[in-house]
Amino acid sequence: MPAAVAKPRRNGLALVIALIAPIALVNAFGFLAPVLNLARMSFYEVEPTGTMREAFSLATWGKVIADTFYAELIVNSITVSLGITLLTLICSYPIALYLHRSSGTWRTILLVLVISPLLTSAVVRTYGWIAILSENGLVNNLVSGLGLERLRLMFNKTGVVIGLTEILMPYMILALLAGFGRLDPRVEEAASTLGAPPFTIFRRIILPLTMPGIALGCLLCFVLAVSSFITPKLLGGGRVFLLATEIYDQAIVTLNWPLAASLSILVLVIFGAALVLYTRALRAIL
Amino acid sequence: MTDTSTAPGQGFLSIRGLTKRYAGFTAVDNLDLEVPKGELVAFLGPSGCGKTTSLRMIAGLVPATSGRIVVGGQDLTEVATHRRDMGLVFQSYALFPHMSVAKNVAFGLEMRKVPKDEIAKRVKEAIALVHLTGKEEHRPAQLSGGQQQRVALARALVIRPSILLFDEPLSNLDAKLRDEMRNEIRDIQRRLGITAIFVTHDQSEALTMCDKVVVMNQGRLEQLGTPVDLYERPKTAFVASFVGRTNRLKAVATDGFADFGGQRFAAPGDLSGPVEVMVRPHRIALAPTGGEGVAGTIMRATFAGDILQYDIDVAGQTVSVELATRGGETVLAPGTTVALSWRPQDVFVYGAAA
Repeated sequence: MPAAVAKPRRNGLALVIALIAPIALVNAFGFLAPVLNLARMSFYEVEPTGTMREAFSLATWGKVIADTFYAELIVNSITVSLGITLLTLICSYPIALYLHRSSGTWRTILLVLVISPLLTSAVVRTYGWIAILSENGLVNNLVSGLGLERLRLMFNKTGVVIGLTEILMPYMILALLAGFGRLDPRVEEAASTLGAPPFTIFRRIILPLTMPGIALGCLLCFVLAVSSFITPKLLGGGRVFLLATEIYDQAIVTLNWPLAASLSILVLVIFGAALVLYTRALRAIL
Repeated sequence: MTDTSTAPGQGFLSIRGLTKRYAGFTAVDNLDLEVPKGELVAFLGPSGCGKTTSLRMIAGLVPATSGRIVVGGQDLTEVATHRRDMGLVFQSYALFPHMSVAKNVAFGLEMRKVPKDEIAKRVKEAIALVHLTGKEEHRPAQLSGGQQQRVALARALVIRPSILLFDEPLSNLDAKLRDEMRNEIRDIQRRLGITAIFVTHDQSEALTMCDKVVVMNQGRLEQLGTPVDLYERPKTAFVASFVGRTNRLKAVATDGFADFGGQRFAAPGDLSGPVEVMVRPHRIALAPTGGEGVAGTIMRATFAGDILQYDIDVAGQTVSVELATRGGETVLAPGTTVALSWRPQDVFVYGAAA
């Protein structure tokens, strides 16, 4: 577009608008409108019979705020998701670092291996974990075979954390890899020649330089953990109460859509908070 | 190849039989070298000659296949990099991008558990030494390439390393900055009396900066000597052609003499058969035909201001001749026949490469 090159100031804004318009439109219809609709729905009235009536009632929000069950739900969701995020980070970081340093065909093979779990659905992988973690699963058969007491690995937080950690690891590894750009083997060598032993190099050089990747991966996994409901539902067996599973129950089972809507808005608020924390963290790092 | 300038065991840095083999090829082959304290020694050679691998073995970044590395009587061959006490300046600077200039320079001292106030003092001195006072709080990304390399130099110097290693430190800088840094590195190295190794593929860098030059080719040491030695008394055809420019002429040797264009040159040893005769372009004198020397015909004349360059055909081979201009000379036209002559000590004869 020669005109844009010749007069960047005048045409710059028009060009920006033209480029942003398509995605803005898609987002307006596909995301913003439904969310607004959801927000509106959270003020609808639910009659004792269960029918939903268009109204402007604060009843649902009053219940969500007053009932400590929902406060617990929020705290539970956040702490479990943070735990999953941390565990995913710990499990993924060495893999990502190794992948970052490998090269050639070997790197391609490893990358495919990392991404391949994403080719099967989370539901299938969750059933896989059930086969491994259940009362008569792989782990417990091994444990009892060794003469030890069977472990409770399912229908509790442990199961949810194990399952989601594995399911989220590919995302974490890819996010970490994307954020490892500043890592340079020469810089590590420089630290080594200056007298830094391996662990000090990790603490003072590698860790700070990979912080952007860590922040990105944690944001992504936290958001995915908070919003996942299939794995917590199957591995939690209805005994682990999280926001996402509760929303699912209210929307599909109990058919209390206003409550499901208000809880969904709460999840959005948590996402917003996570994003703010992420941008703050990034600013502190860079 | 034996080395005449230092006897074994005499050096501060002593490298004995250092070898690095990878699957399928030998990167460094049986390198022996003695570097006296306070000397600046260049490792010079084309890319892939093993000079950088040698340097990295000295620093401990690459394990040696065999051989010993001894510094000040202490065998460091099996010692980990971070305990070797060597400073390394990288081609890519390799500064810590998340730390300020002062923090970069302080890093090595922190690793050595130097007291805080002393760190502050020494960092200040080192930064002043490389003329970066005032830039202490800048991040590396805010500095120019030359400034970044100064920070890298300060960072390596401040720990007072036993040996300072340079891995092509000037390659990423532009020509003007390169000359400046060249002098600066040389000055600082001399002033502090640090033993240093300087890896480069640039022969002018090696010749102008260093006390001694190690010329390497295909993992082997071709020649060790002072810049003058290498230029005036190259031991191998490779050194003669790599250090400075030279004419490589084909000739045949019989009975210890090489014949080229009707002139006979003493060939070293009992060379016979095909040989290479080398003469540097500016060591050849031209005279009108009839004078003494080898007859040739001018093919091309190029006037380049400070030099006058001729391509001369001598018995089917092209000889390049350069004459310094003094003003007033006539540029000989192509087709003119001339006589080429040179002093015997300016001619080197080597067995022809297979």
